[in-house]
Amino acid sequence: MRRNDGKQACIVGIGASRFGRRLPESQTALAAVAFKQALADAGLTREDIDGLCINMGFPLGTDYDRFAQAFGLDIRYVSQTWMHGRFVTMSLQHAALAVEAGLADVVACVTAISFTRAIPVLGGVDAEDMREEGGTHGESPHYGLTAPASGAALGMQRYMHVHGATSEQLAAVPVAFRKHASLNPAALMRTPITVADHQASRFVVEPLHLLDCCLVTDGAVIVLVTSAERARDLRQKPVRITGMQGLRTGREEFIFAPRGMGIAQQNFGRQPARARDLEVYRGAGIERADVQGLFTYDAFSPLVLFTLERFGFCGPGEAAGFVQNGSIEIGGELPMNTSGGLLSEAHVGGWNSIAEMVRQLRGTAGPRQIPDVACLQWATAWGDSVILQS
Amino acid sequence: MAHPDKPLPYIGPDTAKFWAAAREHRLSLPVCETCHRAHWPPGPVCPFCFGDGLTWRDMSGRGTITTFTIVHRDWYPALMVNGPYNVIQVELEEGPRLTANLVDPPPGGPRIGMAVEVIFDDVTPEVTLPRFRPRQAGERNG
Repeated sequence: MRRNDGKQACIVGIGASRFGRRLPESQTALAAVAFKQALADAGLTREDIDGLCINMGFPLGTDYDRFAQAFGLDIRYVSQTWMHGRFVTMSLQHAALAVEAGLADVVACVTAISFTRAIPVLGGVDAEDMREEGGTHGESPHYGLTAPASGAALGMQRYMHVHGATSEQLAAVPVAFRKHASLNPAALMRTPITVADHQASRFVVEPLHLLDCCLVTDGAVIVLVTSAERARDLRQKPVRITGMQGLRTGREEFIFAPRGMGIAQQNFGRQPARARDLEVYRGAGIERADVQGLFTYDAFSPLVLFTLERFGFCGPGEAAGFVQNGSIEIGGELPMNTSGGLLSEAHVGGWNSIAEMVRQLRGTAGPRQIPDVACLQWATAWGDSVILQS
Repeated sequence: MAHPDKPLPYIGPDTAKFWAAAREHRLSLPVCETCHRAHWPPGPVCPFCFGDGLTWRDMSGRGTITTFTIVHRDWYPALMVNGPYNVIQVELEEGPRLTANLVDPPPGGPRIGMAVEVIFDDVTPEVTLPRFRPRQAGERNG
C-alpha cells in the first residue's frame, strides 16, 4: 500500500494552452499560457514551484532549463525524459515521488510541444531510426519501417490473426473517442465518425487506417503536484495519486503489443493479467472493479485494446469484443478517454487526458462528466499506471 | 527535410559483423558459447544466460513470417515509387526474429505462417540487405 498521509502527492492545478496544428507560438509561449492558468487554478504563484518534470523536451518541446529561465523560476528538482509519450506516467510518478521524498514542494509537470514545428528537426521521420539495432517500435529504416504507427500495425496484425479480431471491431475505439470529443470545445476533431468512415479512411500502415492514428498537434498542458498537507490550503479539491506502477520492459515486452503476442523477440502465449501486472490496484488499496473510468495513451487505436487486456479488464483477445456497443463511451460500462484523447482531442503527449481526469474527479467535466466519479485509472499498453482518486 | 534516397542501416559496433557477413551473402548472428542460443539484435553478451562468449554463426536462412504490415505512408518517398510495400517479421529456425521485406510475394501478399528463405540484395557496393522470399515448404501456424 502506498502512503495515505499528509505527504501523499496530489494534483492541485491544471492548465492548458490552445491546441492546434502549425500554431505560430513557440513551445515556450504555449507553456506560458498553460503555466499561468495552472497556477491560478491551484492558487499558487510561480515562486511556489521548486520542481519540474518534463516529459517531452527537445526537439519536440520546451526543456527544463528553458522553462525555468523563461519564467524566472528557482528550481531544486528536475526530471526530464526523452521526447516520447511512453514516459508520461514516469514523469507524473517522478513528481509524486519527489514531493513525497521532500525533494520538492510543488512540481510542475510540463508538456509544451509542437509536433508540427519539430517534424523537420526530427529529419521528417523518426529519431529512433538512428538506433543501430532498431527502434523501440520496430523501426528499421532500411526496410522501410519507421514511426510508432508501424509498431502498432505489427502488433495489431498478429492480434487479428491470433484472436480473430477485425478492423471493423477496432473502429469502435476511434468512433467512441470522437463522440467524446464532440462534447469538448477544446478538441480539434469534433465531427462524429462512423465505422464506415473508419473503414473508408485511407490506410497508413496496414491494418491501421488513418482514423486509427492520433492527431499530430501543438499545445501545452501543465499539471501541478504537491503534498496533501499543502493541498489543504489551496483552491481546488485535491486529486490524490493513490496507486502507481512502473513501465515494463524486457525481451518479453514490445511497446505496442501485448505480452505473449510474438512480436519482435517476445515468446508466444498470451496469458491473463498476473498479480505483477496489477500492483497499481493493491498500492491504492482498491479493486479493479472500483475504477470508474480508464484513460490511456491512445496514439493508435490498438493500444486501447492492449491496455484493457494488460490490466485484466478483458482476457486475452477479448478487448476487441468488449469495446463494442458503447462500453467505453460515457455512460458505458467503462468510460475511456472522455476528452477525446490523442485520437480526437489533441496530442499533448497524453497530458490532455491527465488534465481531463482531474476535471472528472473535480466534477467539472461538464457534458462529459462521469456521474459520481471518485476513482480513475491512467494506464498504458506498456504497463505503467497511476490511480487518481478524489 | 533531407530524406536519404533509400535509407541505409546505421551500422555500429554491435551490428557491424552482421552487415559484414551480409556483404558476403551470409546471414550471421551471435550465438552463445554457453547456452548455444542465437539472439537478435546483436548485443555484447548473451541476453539469455548473460554469458560473455559469443560466436557469430551462419543461420539456415529459413524461417516463418510471424507478422507483417503494408506501408502506405510515404515516410520514405524513394521506397514508395512502386506504391505500398510490405515489411515482415521472420522467425528464423534458430529462434530470433528479424525485420525485413518479402520479395516476390504471392498474390495477396505476405501471410502470417508463410515459409520464407533469405536472399541477399546488394543495394550499394558497401551494403547488402538480407530480405526473404517465399519458400516451398509446409506452412506452420506462425
